[in-house]
Amino acid sequence: MVGMRVLYVEDEADDVLFMRRAFRKCGWTLQAVEDGRQAIDYLSGAAPYDDRERHPLPSLVLLDLNLPRVSGFEVLQWIRSREDLRGIPVVVFSSSGRPEDRSRAASLGADDYLLKPSSGALFGEVVAALKTHRDVRVS
Amino acid sequence: MTAPAERRPSTAVSAGLFVLLMALMAWIRLGIFPDRLISLSYGLPLLVCLWHRDLRLLWAMVAASTCMSAYKAFVLLPDEGLPFGQAVHWQFQMANMAVIAAAVHAAIVVLRRLKERNAALRAANEELAAREEEISRQNEELQQQNEEIQRQSEEVDQQAEEVQSQAEELQAVNAELGHRQRMLQALLESFRGGEADGPLLDGVCRTVLDLFAGAAAAAAVVERRGESLVRLAQAGGAEPAERPLAGSFARVVLEHGKTAFVDDLSKRPDLGGLSGPGGPFGSVLASPVRPAGVLEVYAAAPRTWTTEHFRLVEWAAAQVSLLLQVRRLHEALSASNADLERQVRHRTAQLQEMVDELQHFSYTITHDMRAPLRAMQGFAAVLSDGLDGQLDAENRDYLDRIRTAAERMDRLITDALSYANTVRTEMPATAVDPARLLRGMIESYPAFQPPKARIEIEGELPPVLANEAGLTQCFSNLLGNAVKFVEPGRVPHVRIRAERRGERLRLWFEDNGIGIPSEMLPRIFGMFQRASKAYEGTGIGLALVRKVADRMGGSVGVEPSPGGGSRFWLDLRPAN
Repeated sequence: MVGMRVLYVEDEADDVLFMRRAFRKCGWTLQAVEDGRQAIDYLSGAAPYDDRERHPLPSLVLLDLNLPRVSGFEVLQWIRSREDLRGIPVVVFSSSGRPEDRSRAASLGADDYLLKPSSGALFGEVVAALKTHRDVRVS
Repeated sequence: MTAPAERRPSTAVSAGLFVLLMALMAWIRLGIFPDRLISLSYGLPLLVCLWHRDLRLLWAMVAASTCMSAYKAFVLLPDEGLPFGQAVHWQFQMANMAVIAAAVHAAIVVLRRLKERNAALRAANEELAAREEEISRQNEELQQQNEEIQRQSEEVDQQAEEVQSQAEELQAVNAELGHRQRMLQALLESFRGGEADGPLLDGVCRTVLDLFAGAAAAAAVVERRGESLVRLAQAGGAEPAERPLAGSFARVVLEHGKTAFVDDLSKRPDLGGLSGPGGPFGSVLASPVRPAGVLEVYAAAPRTWTTEHFRLVEWAAAQVSLLLQVRRLHEALSASNADLERQVRHRTAQLQEMVDELQHFSYTITHDMRAPLRAMQGFAAVLSDGLDGQLDAENRDYLDRIRTAAERMDRLITDALSYANTVRTEMPATAVDPARLLRGMIESYPAFQPPKARIEIEGELPPVLANEAGLTQCFSNLLGNAVKFVEPGRVPHVRIRAERRGERLRLWFEDNGIGIPSEMLPRIFGMFQRASKAYEGTGIGLALVRKVADRMGGSVGVEPSPGGGSRFWLDLRPAN
């Protein structure tokens, strides 16, 4: 099984915890950052993420929208403006079901839009949905 | 009119007389003197008929006497002793009787006619008398009416005189009103034209000259500004655009606040008289205009101003005052209108900003509330999994309760969010096929399919004018309720059909559920209203259905179903 390295941009510590639990079961790697600023620093290799051994580029970005400092949409826009990050799929992971949020994410170049489940125990379903992206990339 | 009928002579009397007289004659002629001639005429008894006028009796007696005399002449009497022959003697007797009979006959006929005439005349007389009486009665009435008419005619004459005098008064008033109406007309037309003060007041001045009908040569409206008089309008061309207040007649008028005049301006050089085309004006009449103006009327030559001129100039000055006031009010009004509009725009912008902020706030807060709920549910589940086998029933129940409470809170939030969404999103209406929507919904949810439920569409559902997303929301809530609120162990059965109701199309959703208590019926579409706490629900679903139906120009309602469940209806506009 090809391991996935996912960068999870999320300010809710509980959600990160549930996601870690879900990832543990399938053996993927999860890197978590707490806000949009950190996400951009991580992806651009700025300090403290300048060591690519410890902080390698992810194979997928899982992005919450409602983030402190720099919002999820801004992060998405920034990623899509970078040539060197072009191949990385970005999946929006939000509790907002608003149609305008969905269409805005799609227009900014998000590969998918996943609704947060109502229970942290159901994050396993998110991992199952992410597998389709992994499969697309491998094939 | 007919004469009274002639009474026929009594037959019995005639018969009696006939027998009596003939017996008498027979007794005398044949019994007493059978053998000699007597000078008694056979015509004698016939005279009785002049009393008893019966022609039958007359001629019967003639016949009987003929027979009797023939019998006596030719049978009883001896031939001798007669001056003439028997036959001749009998013939004489017959002729005598015939003459008398004819005379009596004629007399009877004449008498009868006379009697008839008499009766007719009497009747006619009576008739005439009655008529005469009637005519005299009518005459009396006519006389009375005549008197009445006479009296009324006098009254009418009197009224006519009054009317005449009133008409004369009215005519005078009318002429005066005509003047003023012309002026008002001019004013009104100027108003309609929306002209500026100058040309409008010029028009007033011209009208004043018209009304003075040759008595005035020029008219002007001036206003005091500081120590100057500024011309507002004029007709006749005398007034300069601006002149000093000091030494002017206008100043006198302004100081006294009353109408004033100078008959002969040549005697008042101190008033610095104005000039017209033909030299200095001879006379002036002026009236104050509120708040600080004067209407001046000039005549070319010295003259005496009449009461009528006074009235006219004062009235015109009042009109000009009104006009100026209206203009000022109008200006103030437009200024305040503009200010108001600015304020409204400002407030609207403020409100919009507030609404946006509130929307963002409510969105964010509901959004943020969901994160701890997710955690609660998640940790409860994790705990429940991790402690599997170590938990007693009571503690497991507590954990389950944490989970269901969090789930319920989450549903409340999502329902409230979708309600808020419905309130603010646009809902353009298009033609929608409700049957297609319903079938798609039934196919994609196992809860709407056998064996869990039986949902049937009965007959055709015509297309409706609706918003597809909104209609989907309505249907999913109505069907969701129909399959949810059912007694345990019973298979939900929903029947959907359409009914045309005038301008509307009604979709019926009839279920076999637990129904709605009658006291809940008026409130069931209200926010957070729940008919039964035994079933899971937030009390937002039906409120949402009503809101969406409203937004689509439709309506929704419910009534108890005869079978025990509920019958919901959704009224929409048909698509064609």
